[in-house]
Formats: sequence, C-alpha cells, structure tokens
Amino acid sequence: MMNPKEWDVLVVGAGPAGLAAALAAHNKGASTAIIEREDRPGGILKQCIHDGFGLVRFGEKLTGPEYAFRDIRRIEEKKIPVFTETYLEKSEILGGGFGLHLVNNRAGVFTLRSKALVFATGCRERTARQVFIHGTRPSGIWTAGLAQYFINIQGYMPCRRCVILGSGDIGLIMARRLTLEGAEVEGVYEVLPEPSGLTRNVVQCLEDYAIPLHLSSTVTRVHGEDRVEGVTVSAVDAQRRPVPGTERYVECDCLILSVGLIPENEGPEALGTPLDRLTGGPIIDQRYMSTALAGLFSCGNALHVSDLVDYVSETGHSAGEAAAVYALGKSTKPSRKLVPLRPGNNVRYTVPQYVDVSLPGTVTLFFRSSRTLEHARATLSSGETTVLKKTFPVLRPPEMERLEFQVPENGLEDALVLHITGREEKG
Amino acid sequence: MKSVPDRVVKTLEKKGLTGIAVTLEEESLCLKGMVKNHDDWLKAGYTAAAFPCREVINDLAIQGLEPEKDRLPALSDSLLEGRHFDAVVIGGGVIGCAAARELTRWDISVALLEKDGDVSCHASGRNDGMVHPGFAAHPGTKKATYNVRGNKLYTRVSEDLGVPLVRCGSMLLLKNPLYILLIPYFFLRARQNGVEGCRFIERRKVFQLEKQVTRKQWGAFSFPTAGVMSPYRTAIAYAENAVQNGAEVFLDTRVRGFRLEPSKPGKTRLTAVETNRGTFTASVVINAAGIWADRIAQYAGDRFFSLHYRKGVDCILDKKTGALQQRATGMPELFQLRAKTKGGGIVPTTEGNLLIGPTAEEIPYREEYSTSQTDIDALMSRLNLNRALKKEDIITYFAGVRACTWKEDFIIEPSRKVDNLIHAAGIQSPGFASAPAIAEDVAAFAVEALKLQRTVMENRCFNPRREAPVNPRNLSPQERTKLIQSDPAYGRVICRCEGVSEGEVRDALRSSVPAMTLDGIKRRTRAGMGRCHGGFCTPRILEIMSAELKEPMERLTKRGAGSLFFTGLTKETEPKKAVKGGEA
Ligand SMILES: Cc1cc2nc3c(=O)[nH]c(=O)nc-3n(C[C@H](O)[C@H](O)[C@H](O)COP(=O)(O)OP(=O)(O)OC[C@H]3O[C@@H](n4cnc5c(N)ncnc54)[C@H](O)[C@@H]3O)c2cc1C
Ligand SMILES: Cc1cc2nc3c(=O)[nH]c(=O)nc-3n(C[C@H](O)[C@H](O)[C@H](O)COP(=O)(O)OP(=O)(O)OC[C@H]3O[C@@H](n4cnc5c(N)ncnc54)[C@H](O)[C@@H]3O)c2cc1C
Repeated sequence: MMNPKEWDVLVVGAGPAGLAAALAAHNKGASTAIIEREDRPGGILKQCIHDGFGLVRFGEKLTGPEYAFRDIRRIEEKKIPVFTETYLEKSEILGGGFGLHLVNNRAGVFTLRSKALVFATGCRERTARQVFIHGTRPSGIWTAGLAQYFINIQGYMPCRRCVILGSGDIGLIMARRLTLEGAEVEGVYEVLPEPSGLTRNVVQCLEDYAIPLHLSSTVTRVHGEDRVEGVTVSAVDAQRRPVPGTERYVECDCLILSVGLIPENEGPEALGTPLDRLTGGPIIDQRYMSTALAGLFSCGNALHVSDLVDYVSETGHSAGEAAAVYALGKSTKPSRKLVPLRPGNNVRYTVPQYVDVSLPGTVTLFFRSSRTLEHARATLSSGETTVLKKTFPVLRPPEMERLEFQVPENGLEDALVLHITGREEKG
Repeated sequence: MKSVPDRVVKTLEKKGLTGIAVTLEEESLCLKGMVKNHDDWLKAGYTAAAFPCREVINDLAIQGLEPEKDRLPALSDSLLEGRHFDAVVIGGGVIGCAAARELTRWDISVALLEKDGDVSCHASGRNDGMVHPGFAAHPGTKKATYNVRGNKLYTRVSEDLGVPLVRCGSMLLLKNPLYILLIPYFFLRARQNGVEGCRFIERRKVFQLEKQVTRKQWGAFSFPTAGVMSPYRTAIAYAENAVQNGAEVFLDTRVRGFRLEPSKPGKTRLTAVETNRGTFTASVVINAAGIWADRIAQYAGDRFFSLHYRKGVDCILDKKTGALQQRATGMPELFQLRAKTKGGGIVPTTEGNLLIGPTAEEIPYREEYSTSQTDIDALMSRLNLNRALKKEDIITYFAGVRACTWKEDFIIEPSRKVDNLIHAAGIQSPGFASAPAIAEDVAAFAVEALKLQRTVMENRCFNPRREAPVNPRNLSPQERTKLIQSDPAYGRVICRCEGVSEGEVRDALRSSVPAMTLDGIKRRTRAGMGRCHGGFCTPRILEIMSAELKEPMERLTKRGAGSLFFTGLTKETEPKKAVKGGEA
C-alpha cells in the first residue's frame, strides 16, 4: 500500500459512521484512509445479527452484518485503505493538520498525518460500577453488548436464568436472544417510569415472549460469592431512590446490564476539544466540525448515541464530505461565525450545538425530547425570528428526531433555541 | 489489688456488658460468653485491650450472627504428599510473597502456600498502595518502626523487582486554622518515628503546589518520602522473584492443620503441614495468613491473639483525572490523628489514576468484600479535597479487609510456644509500606530457627533482580517496532483502554507465577482495568487463556473455584462441536 506523506482525511473507526465518512470523503476527491482497531470493519454491527437495520436508508430490513457489508463492499471497490488491528496510541496537532501515532502487528509503531481527522469511534457501555450496583462482585455480571458478543460471535451461553437491568435497546434485543437460546429471562427492570428503548423493541422482544417489564424498579444488590446467585430488586420513587419495604430477592445466575452507552471521545478530548455534557460528544457545528478545533470532525455514536444506524450513516456521510471540503480547501481558514443552538423547554439535547451562519444551505438538526409528549410542536427561534415550526403526533425520549432548516440569507444574530410544547401522554 | 481479669470484668459491667468471663491465658486476656451485637463485641475487645496484657483473645459469640461460610478449595489431590521443605510460608499476600523471596537468599527449599487461585487476591490486592512515610503510627510501635524501615527499603525493592515506585509525597491538609498550633507536635512525632524531610507548608503555597486543592485548607504538613506503588504487582513480583530463585508457589493450597510433637518442657515443634493437596514435613513455618493468621496460630496451639476485621472501600477514578493532582492528600479530623486508621483521602497511582479512600468500618466477617451506597456516599464527601473531581470520574470501586489485633499493632515474632513457627500477624495498614522490612525480619527469624537444626548456607545464585516481562509501552518507538517484528503478538493491542497487547497477556499466562484466571491477568497486565472495564477485551482474553491454558472456554474462571463465565454452548455451536467430537 502506498501511503502519501499526508492524507487529506483520516477516519478513526470503521463502524457504519466511519465507513460512510470515508466513502463520502473519497468521493469528494480526498485521499482517505481508515484506522480500525479490530480485525474487521463493521463496528458493533458485526454482532447485531437481528434485523431491522436500514429501513430509512435502504427501505429494507437488513441484519447488522448485512447493513455493514453494503458499505464495506463499496470501500473495497474504491480501494480505500483500512488499517485494521491498528491501535491509536496518541493523536497530536502537527503543523496545520494532525499526526496519529499508531501501533499494529505489521508495521510496529508508525505515524500517519492528515489535514482533516474524523472520529467515528462509536461508544462503550456503562458498567455496573458506573450505575452503583452494590453487593458482592461474582462472575456473571455482564453488559448486554458483551453478552451479545459471547452468544453471537463466540457461541457461548453466559447464563441459564437472568435478570436484565435497564430497558435500552440492546437489553431488549438480548432478552429475546437469550430466550431463543433457551435461557430464562426473569424480567427486565427499568428505573424510569417508561422504557428507554424503542417501542418496536418492547413489543417484539418482550411482549411477544411474555417477558415482564418492571418500570420504576431497579436492582439494589447482587448476591453470590463465585457466580451470581441472585439479586435484590426494589421499586423506586420519583427521585429514583429505592422504596424501603419493596425489596424482593430474585434467584438468577446472571445480571445483564443495558444502562446506557457512553460515546468514546478520549481522542478528541486529548486534543483539547470540549465535550457536550448532554450528549457526551464533541461540540460541533452543522458540518460536524469541532467548534474548538478546526479540521476535527465527529460522527456516529461518538457524536451522540443514535437508536437507528441509518442516522449514524447519515452523520458519517456529512462529516466525511465536510472533512474533504475542509482538507481540499484553500489553506486560508474560512472565518466562522458561530451561533449557539440550545435545547429549550422539553428538549434533552440538540446536535449540532452551534450553527456557522456564514455558510449557506440546509442544516440538519437532531434532537431528543426530555419527556413523552403528544401533539408536540417544535419551534426553532432566534431572538424574535422563528426559523422553523413543526408538529409531531408524538415525541418520546428514546426516539431521536430529525429536522432541517435553512440558514436565513441575512444570517442570524441571536442564539437559536429549540422549544417543544405538547400534551403529556395519557396512561 | 484485684487481678487484671477481675478489673476487666468490672469495667465491662460498668459499660453494660454483663456475663462475660475473662481469663488470663499466656499473658493474653481471653473473653468468653455472648454479646447482643457486633458493636458490643468490639466494645468488649477494645475495653480489654486497654488493660496491661500481651494481647486479647475475643471469643465472645455474637447473638444471631450467622457464621462465615467456609470456602473450601475445590481442588483435592496429593501433589504435596510426602514432600519436605526447609521453610514454608503460609499466605500469598505481600507479606508472604516478600518473606518467601527473602528466604531464597539462603540455600534452602522454600514453599509458598496460598489457598486461593492467585497470590495477592486479599488485602494485598485490595488496598491503596501507599508507601506511607511512617508518621501516623504511634512512636515506639512496631507499625511505626517497620513502616519507616519499609519505606526506605522500597527504593531498592522497586528497582530490583522492576515495579515502579513514585515518591509523589503526601500532604496532611489542615482543616482548621487552629491545627497550626499542632505543628510543633507534628515535628516531634516525625522525629520520634524517624520520618525525614517533613515540612510545614503554608496555605498559599499549598495552592501553588496543588492547583485544584480544596479551598478549605489551612496549610499542610508535607511528607516528601511518601510514595505509591501497585500493591498487587509488588506482591506478584516478589513471588516471581522467589520462584526465579528456587522457591515453589502452590496455589489453591490451603493449610488446615499441623502435626506437632513435644520439644522442651511446655514447648512443641511443628513437624508436618496438612493441606488439601497432601501432608508434608517442614523445618520452619511462617504464618503470614492475613485475616486468618489467628486460625493458623490456633492450628499450632499458639492462639495468643484474635483478630477483628476492618473493611475499607476505595473508588478508582478515570485516568483523565491523573493530571489533576500530584501528591496524596488527606484531611483527617484532629481526633482521628490518634484513631485506628488514617483519615483516607486522595491517592495517585503509578498507573495514572486517582484513588479516593479508604473508608474504615468494622465488620463481623473476614472475607466480606461487598460495597454499599453508604460506602460510596462517604467517599463522595472526600472528592472535594480536589475541586476538579466529579462523581462521573469514578470508574469502579473495591473493598478490602484489614486484619487487626486488639492492641492494634503488628505481631512479628517467633512463637513463644512452638520452636519453629514465626508469626507475621495483625498486618493491617501500613502493612504494605512495611512489607520489605517485615519480610527481612521474619526470614531472619526463620533462618535462626533453621540454624538450630542444621547449617544454613547462603544461596550463591540468588539474583535480586526479577526477570520482568516486557512492557512495550516503556520502549522507544524503534525498540518497540523491533519487538513487534520479532513477535507480532506485541503489536496486537487487545485492551483498548490500557493499550495492552496480546503478547503481554500471553506472558502473564506463562510467567513464573502464572495467571490462571481473568482477574490474575488483570492484575498482571491491567487489561480490563480501564474505563470500559473489560467490556471489549474480555472475549479476546478468554480466547487467549483458553489456548494457553489448554482449557475449554466453559472451564475458564474469573477468579478460580466456581466463578465460571459460561453455562454452556449456544444452540448453534452445540451440534457443530458435537459432530466434530463424534468424528474425531
Ligand atoms: C453493543 C451494542 C449493540 C447495539 N445494537 C443495536 C441494534 O440492535 N440496533 C441498532 O439500530 N443499533 C444498535 N446499536 C447502536 C449502534 O451502535 C449504531 O447503530 C451504530 O452501529 C453505531 O455506529 P458507529 O460507527 O458510530 O459506531 P461503532 O459501530 O461502534 O463503530 C466504531 C468503530 O470504531 C472503532 N474504534 C473506536 N475507537 C477506535 C480507536 N481509538 N482506534 C481505532 N478504531 C477505533 C471500533 O473498533 C469500531 O469498529 C448498538 C450499539 C452497541 C454498543
Ligand atoms: C482498603 C485498604 C487500604 C489499605 N491501604 C494501605 C496503604 O495504602 N498502605 C499500606 O501500607 N497498607 C495499606 N493497607 C493494609 C495492607 O493492605 C495490608 O497490611 C497488607 O496487604 C497485608 O498483607 P498480608 O500479606 O499480611 O495479608 P493478605 O494480603 O490478606 O494475605 C494473606 C493471604 O493468606 C492466605 N491464607 C489465609 N489462610 C490461609 C491458609 N489456611 N492456607 C493458605 N493460605 C491462606 C489468604 O488467602 C491471603 O491471600 C490497606 C488495607 C485495606 C483493606
């Protein structure tokens, strides 16, 4: 493989976001390569053997590997290099661009340079310690993604009878998967009053298999010395504190956790890009470029956790294109005019967090509501100006929403704020 | 004048503790009877300890307390049956591992016995790794002298064993401006204990040294000799060096009794050691059994002390926080300066994380490592010793139990009753900091006892330097590339948080004290200790373990015994494997 002295665009991560970013950058004429620490591209999709991927993008129901394969094939056709089993030790700002210090089993320690850098590093799962589950720490406490890997990739059963904590999508999918494999799922326990996964998954993975979902409840203690022998579950109050007297002992040999995903952003953070505390991802403008560090782009689950892979690919595509444009552009940096875009009433977060109003064109806005609302009206305004209005039959926190708007030609002065009004859902 | 036991009974009664029988046994006070609860049990023990006596044997039963489950090793064979060792060390904690290594300086056969699946999985693998300066302990106690000596010895030990020691220094922050009045007293104690280099640092200067330190400090007393080390790596390294110098380490080997014979009048000799892996003879035995040391003493008929169990919980913060503080800091309450544990605080680690803790809570069981919200809440209150730390920085937490005598000092001495038994018991904090000094002395006691039986020569081949496995991250890029070219396994990074390669995991499985469990690999390589906590690397490590140990995946464990990972195969793999097996 011939390596240029400096790549236009380097993409870190070969999940769906990274693959889309690399393709888009390549198609714009930028010299592009991907760094991936695992032995194959595909990211987390490799282990998602259930279907339901690609409805928005391809209008088809694909499995995770099938979905990933469509992009991987195109990457191969275009001969975009993928450095697999390559570990990123450190990245630094080098000249006007970036230097990536890498290690792999073929070249040893080496450095690649690029003008633009796209982080598509996905996310990791929150662990038992991070949600403060107490008691003993025997074998048999796994995150849902790890259990998924054990079963789908390695072919081993992690339990016979389990309790699942958290109703995130991976937890719901795993409830079904474990049941199909002959294990018993005693129940799914969710600390919030509503499920945090998609409705479709609650129906297809729990209700269809008569697996009970206990809302406003949690696991308070783990029992067992060597292997999990049981857990204590209890109801929680509105402040998510366990209600004394509601404790129940459940016998099980495993506790599976689906308690949240954390975007992986150690790379951008080490380069000095601040993260949005609401999303866990870098603070970016509508080109997916860090507002603090020009040339650094973020997409996919590393930017903010998406429930649909289709949106992941979309942000990857946009970030890749923008990175190419940035890298191929004249050396004079465009002067940005950044206006903040903030979550208002009933909005948990918005991406992007800033809009560069010096750039014409369409801005794609992703957001999540902070609670379930019917007949919801979303209003995006800047000072007195209303930029966009849209109604939704219903908005739910687990479901990410997408909006588009135009940056007015005469620009904007005041911060953009997204407000939502609507009716509280009736039980 | 009334006898001491009578006076103890009187005092106990005054405190509302009635019906307790107190006797004097071998100069130790022995308490028998029943108390209502664990608090009363503690109160009785401490009350007795305040009287003149050698130690306290607290045999009071606690009403309604379920006895601790005895976790017997699953293994039973005759590996050791009929063998002989000149010196036997019981307990694979840092004390036992260090003692075994010191014994290999002599030309004798040495065995180290550990009941669990790895060395260093109890107190020695569950502490802060502070190489304390030696200030906290009372002048004149064994704790004070061994700590100060141990602290000095660690410079050499760290070099020899290849385990990094960072002399980061520590600061005792003054919580109250009035505490400044105590500074002369601090200097006096430092001088009495032999702690060198202490200084008073005024408030403003503290802010310059530690940018993020709490605003609520009023100056600090600083200890430049304080340091940090990885405690479990130290213990493992000691054990590895012992093996490299000829010692044998036996894991899953639990001592369950001794054979004794009378020697001089009123005295005995230990002739044989009974374990689940056979009975064998021994010339001298060292009791370094940590929280079970009183049980070992009992097997030898020399139980002149009993232990109580003080749990400590620590939080580990993400490596991102490592840059926020250089020194260890603590802010003890004034009265805690004299109390049984150092107030706890923030401790840097050699790996770049910060630790918060430890807490101190008396518990009724020996190996009870569960944690509760109360522990975490207590630790949260210490987060604010550094203004930049947040709750979200916590990646995990753990508990350990300190083995404490009622006199709250170490017992490091040859048995008065059994000619060839040496005790290293009650090794609570600062036991890690003291380990090199304790090990020197117990080994010397053992050799003295041996010399009464035969001539003991020095081990001419003794090499204090441990052959340590390579750490590719410590090499220059050129050296590392060369290493990877000669063995590509060092270029396959499998633990993404800590950057550990397949080669290092394989080395841990092949070392002189090899890891047999996932936790063993974690302690040796740090794989799985980072922020994702094994979420990504566990499957890969299990595959390497399976290949190296030649064990099927279903038999691998987290930390030995029944801590299996899998309950079986999935439906899809089941028939495939079955067919393969059938054809073969
Ligand atoms: C366990 C799990 C199960 C999921 N199941 C579903 C599901 O069933 N349905 C669904 O719609 N969505 C699911 N998701 C959401 C899914 O993550 C997204 O749909 C999508 O796969 C995210 O794509 P991505 O490219 O952003 O991240 P990923 O697919 O996670 O890809 C990131 C890639 O970056 C690589 N990487 C990261 N850091 C580095 C580095 N420093 N150096 C080199 N390479 C690096 C990783 O190895 C990985 O290949 C799941 C997520 C997880 C974590
Ligand atoms: C939370 C906490 C924080 C601490 N922080 C510090 C600190 O910062 N600095 C410091 O200096 N000290 C500290 N300490 C104290 C320190 O950890 C101990 O003093 C030290 O580890 C004791 O080592 P040990 O070898 O005596 O005991 P252990 O490590 O407990 O080893 C004893 C071993 O004996 C084995 N054993 C028991 N019975 C048998 C049997 N019958 N047969 C075979 N094997 C047996 C056990 O399995 C065990 O592995 C701390 C302690 C705790 C709990």
